Amino acid sequence: MSDVVLTMTDVEAGYGGGLVLQGMSLELERGTITCIVGPNGAGKSTVLRVISGLLKPTSGTVALGDRQIGGLAPDVILKAGIAQVSQNRALFDSMSVHENVLMGGYLIRRDRQLLHQRLDMVANLIPITKERAHHKAGNLSGGQRRMVEIGRALMLDPSLILMDEPSLGLDPKSVAKVAELIREVASTGRTVLLVEQNVRLGMNLATHGVVMEQGQVRLTGDAADIADNPEVASMYLGKVGG
Amino acid sequence: MEIVQVLAYGILLGGVYALLASGVTLIFGVLDVVNVAQGAFLVFAALFTWQIWDAFGIEPLLLIPVMGALMGLLGWGIYRGMVRRVAPQGPGMTVLLMFGVALTLEGILNLVFGNKFKSVTPPYFTESFTFGELVLPLPQLISGILGMLILGGIYAYLRLSWAGRALRASAQNREGAALVGISSVKASSFAFAIGAATAGVGGVLLSIMYPIYPATQYDWIARLLGIVVLGGFGSIPGAVIGSLILGMTEAFANTYLPQWSSIFFYGTILLILLFRPNGLMGARTREDVA
Amino acid sequence: MIANLRKPRVFVPVILLALLALVPIVVQDSKYYQSVLIVCFLFAIMASGWNLISGLAGYVSLGHSVYLGIGMYTGAILGKAWGVDPMFLIPLGAITAAFVALIIGIIVLRTRSHSFVIITIAVLLAFQLLAANLKKLTGGSDGIIVQQPSWAVELGTAPYYYIFFGLLVLTILLAAFVMSSRLGAGLVAIRNDEGKAASIGINTTVYKVTAYVLSAIPFGAAGALYGQYLGFVNPLGAFAILTSVYLVLAALIGGRGTLWGPVLGGFIVAIANEFATTTSGGVSARVLIMGIILILTVMFLPAGLLPSINATIAKRRARSATVKFIDQESIATSHSDADTSLIAARVQHRDDGGDTVLEVRDVVKTFGGVAAVDGVSLALQRGSITGLIGPNGSGKTTLFNCMTGTIRPTSGQVRLTGKDITKEKVWTRAHDGLGRTFQITRLFKSMTVLDNLVAPLERTSARQMVAGRYSGDEVDRARDVLAFMGLQEFERQNAAALSFGQQKLVELAQVLMLRPSVILLDEPASGINPTLIEKLATVIRRLNEAGTTVLIVEHNIPLVLNLCDHIHVLAEGKILTSGTPEEIRNDPMVIEAYLGPDHMLEAPGV
Repeated sequence: MSDVVLTMTDVEAGYGGGLVLQGMSLELERGTITCIVGPNGAGKSTVLRVISGLLKPTSGTVALGDRQIGGLAPDVILKAGIAQVSQNRALFDSMSVHENVLMGGYLIRRDRQLLHQRLDMVANLIPITKERAHHKAGNLSGGQRRMVEIGRALMLDPSLILMDEPSLGLDPKSVAKVAELIREVASTGRTVLLVEQNVRLGMNLATHGVVMEQGQVRLTGDAADIADNPEVASMYLGKVGG
Repeated sequence: MEIVQVLAYGILLGGVYALLASGVTLIFGVLDVVNVAQGAFLVFAALFTWQIWDAFGIEPLLLIPVMGALMGLLGWGIYRGMVRRVAPQGPGMTVLLMFGVALTLEGILNLVFGNKFKSVTPPYFTESFTFGELVLPLPQLISGILGMLILGGIYAYLRLSWAGRALRASAQNREGAALVGISSVKASSFAFAIGAATAGVGGVLLSIMYPIYPATQYDWIARLLGIVVLGGFGSIPGAVIGSLILGMTEAFANTYLPQWSSIFFYGTILLILLFRPNGLMGARTREDVA
Repeated sequence: MIANLRKPRVFVPVILLALLALVPIVVQDSKYYQSVLIVCFLFAIMASGWNLISGLAGYVSLGHSVYLGIGMYTGAILGKAWGVDPMFLIPLGAITAAFVALIIGIIVLRTRSHSFVIITIAVLLAFQLLAANLKKLTGGSDGIIVQQPSWAVELGTAPYYYIFFGLLVLTILLAAFVMSSRLGAGLVAIRNDEGKAASIGINTTVYKVTAYVLSAIPFGAAGALYGQYLGFVNPLGAFAILTSVYLVLAALIGGRGTLWGPVLGGFIVAIANEFATTTSGGVSARVLIMGIILILTVMFLPAGLLPSINATIAKRRARSATVKFIDQESIATSHSDADTSLIAARVQHRDDGGDTVLEVRDVVKTFGGVAAVDGVSLALQRGSITGLIGPNGSGKTTLFNCMTGTIRPTSGQVRLTGKDITKEKVWTRAHDGLGRTFQITRLFKSMTVLDNLVAPLERTSARQMVAGRYSGDEVDRARDVLAFMGLQEFERQNAAALSFGQQKLVELAQVLMLRPSVILLDEPASGINPTLIEKLATVIRRLNEAGTTVLIVEHNIPLVLNLCDHIHVLAEGKILTSGTPEEIRNDPMVIEAYLGPDHMLEAPGV
C-alpha cells in the first residue's frame, strides 16, 4: 500500500492579477518520480513555486502528509521536508563546492553531528562533492553544478524534492548522469516532482506523468502511458520529421 | 623623514576610512543598494558621541560598542521600515530614498546641534606618540589602529561564522540563499545593520580626529563613495585599497596643500576611472558584461 | 504625437502655459507673483532637464545643480570681464555647462556601474570647493556681485519673467523632441536593458553622454540668467545640494520619464518652498522637510502624480484579467509569403570576394590560467546553417561569447565578412552585420513589440538620433518582419506580457531588423516546447533560403542534426571534429565523447 506524500486540491494561484493555476489538483505517492509536462504558460513552474512556498495560493489546499502547508513561508516548508533545485544558476559561485553543500545544511547548522552525518551521506551519493570539495563552484561545468545543487538540496534530508527542468542547459551525457542520480535519490524512499520541457526525456525518467494545460491538469497516469498517448503526442511532440 | 611621517599618517587615516567604506561595500554586496546615507549615519554617531562626552565626560572610545549597537539598530529599522519597501523598484529609487534619509538626519542634527563645529577633545587629544623619528598624534594613531582591528574582526566574522556565510551567500546568489532557507529579509536587515554599525564605530573614531558639523555629511559620503567606486563595488579588499589611497592623498595634501585635498581625491578618482572604468578591482557587474 | 494639439493631454498644459505668459500684463501689481512664478519656471526647467538623463535613461544624478552653478558663474565672470549683462550670455552659460557635462560624461558614463550617481555628488562638491578657492577668478567665498540691467528700474522683473518663460518653453520643446526621437527611444531601451541595447546596435556611450550633455544645457542657460536675477553669485548658493534635492523631488513628484510631469513637479515644489519660507523660514527646517518629503514620495508615490493619475484612469477602463494563454495553433501554423528580400543581409560580399562570412582564427581564451577555448579556428560559409555543439565545459559558450563580443579572446581573431572585429564593441559588431539572440530572452519590457522591433540601429549617426522614432521605413519593415514570423497580431502587445516562446520569436524578429550577415542563435530551442521548436526551425530554414547565414549553439542534438548543413563539435576547448550531420551522427568519437551510450535523449518534434 502506497502512501500519499503530497496532495494539492483545487489550487488557484497567480502573479499580480492573472490566475495561472486555475484549479490544480495533484497527488504524489512516496518513492515515485512524477514529471509535469505541458506547453509554455501552462503553469508547470508555478506548481513548484506554490509547493515550495515562493508563491501563495489564493484558494485551494496543499498538504504534506496530513499537514497543511499552503501559504506558509519558504523556510518553514523547507524545514517540513521539501527542497527545491532551481532552473537557474543557484550555486554560490565564489564559494567552494564543500561550502556550497554545507550551506544546504543552514537550517540544521547548530547540530554539528547531524551536519556531519548529512555531509557524509551526500558525499557517498554524489562523489563529485568529495572529489572537487575545494574547487570554486563557479568553475564547474553545468552537469557538475547540477549534481552539487542536488547534493545541497539533500542536506536537509527532504522527503520531497522539487526540480525545475533539471536537464536545461546540459549536454546529453550530463543529462543521463543527472537522471541516474534522480533515480537513485527516489530509490532511497524520497519522492521527486520534476518539471520538464522535454516530454520523452521526462517520461523516460519518471514513473508517473502529469500533463498540464492552461493551469489545470489534463492527463495523469503512468509515465509510459503518457508517453504513448497519441493526444499528448500531437499536442506537445509536434509533427515528426521535417 | 617627513615622507615616512606622511605615509604613516595616511595609513592610519586609511584604516578608519576602510572601516567606514566596508559598511557601504557590505550593504552594496548583499542588497545592491548604494548607501548614500552612510555619511549622515557617521556624523550622527559623531555628534551623539560629542554630546555624551560633553555632558558626562565619558571617554569617547568607551562609547564604541554603544554607538555601534545604536546605529546598527537604526540601520536595521531603516531597512525594515523603508528600504525593503522601496528596493523592488530598482536601485535608482533606493538611492533617492537613502538620500532622503541622509537629508532628514542632517535636518534633525541641525535642529539639535546647530551649525557649529563640535570637537571631542579627550585628555590625550593633544598628545603624540613618538616612534623613532615618527611623531604621530595619539588620536589618529588610536583611531587608525582600532579601525583596522575592528574591520579585521568584521572580515573574520564574515568568513568564519554562519551568519557571515549567510551574508556572503545572499550577496552571491539570492535565489540560492532562499533555496537553503536563508531569509533574504533577515540577511538584508543584518547587512544593513552591520553597515550602519560601522558608521557608528567610525563616527566615534572620527569624533576625536576631526571637528564635526551636520553638513559635513556630504564630504564624508563623497569620500566614502569615492572609495567604493575606486575599489570596485562589493569588494572589501578593494575598499581597503581605495581607503589607503584616500588616506595617502589626504595626508599628502594636508601637509602640502590643505585646501585642495578633497579636489585631489576627486581628481584621482576621475583619473582612475578614465583608465579603469570599473574601478581598481575591475568589474563586478551582476550581469553579462555586454 | 506631441504635435497633435487636439489631444487634451497636450492642449491643456499648453493653454495653461499660455495663460501664465499673460500674468505680468494682465495682473495688477504682480511683482510678488512674478517672483514666485520665476522660481516655478526655474525648477520646471531644471526638473525637465534632469529628466532627460535620469528619467529617460535611468541614470540618477544627485548633483545636477552643479550645471546651474556653472551657468551662474559663467554669466557673472564673463559679464564682469566683458562689461556685458549676463542675461546676454545665456548661450555661453549653456555651452560651458554642456562642455563640462561632456567631459564628466565621457569619463563616467562608459560603464554601467553605480559610479555615476556617486560622481555626480562629488562633482557638485568639487565645484563648490573650486569656486571657493579660485579667488582671483570667482571672488572666492565672497562671491561676485552682478549689476542689474539699466532698465530694471522701469520695467521691474517682467523681462526676467519672460526670458525664464521662454527658456521653459524651449526646455519643454527640447524634452518633447528628445522623447519622440530615436535618441529618446534608445535611452528608454538603455534604461530597460543596457546590455541588450548594445547588442542591437545602440551605441550606449554616445547616447548616454548625449543625454547627459543635453540635460545640462537648460541648467547652464537658466543659470546665467538666474545669476543676474539674484544679483549675487557665491559658491554655497550656486552649488547647493539643496537645489539638487528640489529638482529631483520635483521630477519625482510630477512623474519621471514623462514630458509634463517634471514641469508640474517644478511648480509644486517651488510653491511649497515659497509657502515654507513665508511660514517658518530657516534652512535647517527646510532640509529636514525636504528629506521627509523625499522619503515619503519615494515610498508612497514613486511613479509621480501624472503617471499615477494616468494609471488610475487606465485601470478603470481595463477589463478584468486572466492570464491570456498563447494560441499555440495560430503561431505554429500561420505563414506569410512576405518578401524574403526584406531580411536579406546588408553586407553580403566580402571585400576580397571570399565566401566566408564569419571566421575565428586560433582563438584562445583563458580564465585564470585555464584555457576554456584552446586554439579554435572555424569558418562559416555564406548561406550555411552551422551548428556548434559540445558537452558542457567544451568551451562552446565561451567561443560563442568571443564571437558576439561579450568577452574578448586572450588571443586570436574574429573576422566578419573579411573585417577584423576582434576588438570591436558590441554595437559596432551589430552595425557590421552580426546579430545574436539570447538563451534567456531580453526584450525591452516597458515597450510594445513594435517598439522593440524599431529599436535596433544599423549605424550611429547624429541624423539618425534626431530623427523621429517612426520616421523611416522601419515601421513598415517591422510589420513585414512580424508578418514573416507570424506575429503580426502581437504588434501592440507589451513585451512583458508575452510568453517565453513568443519572446524568443520576437527577439529573432528584432535581430532581423538589422539585416545581419550572420545570426548567432544562443540555444534557441531551450525552454520552449516541441511545437515552437518546429516553428523556429521553419523560420530558420526560410531565413537561410533568403540568404542569411546562421550559427546555432545548441544542446538539442536532433534539432542540430536536422537543421544544420555543417556541424562543429567542440570538446575540452578544441574542435573535436567537423562535418555533415550524417558524418557527425555516425562518428564514433563524437558519440563516445559527447552523445554518450544512451541514445534515448531525442527531443521530439523536429
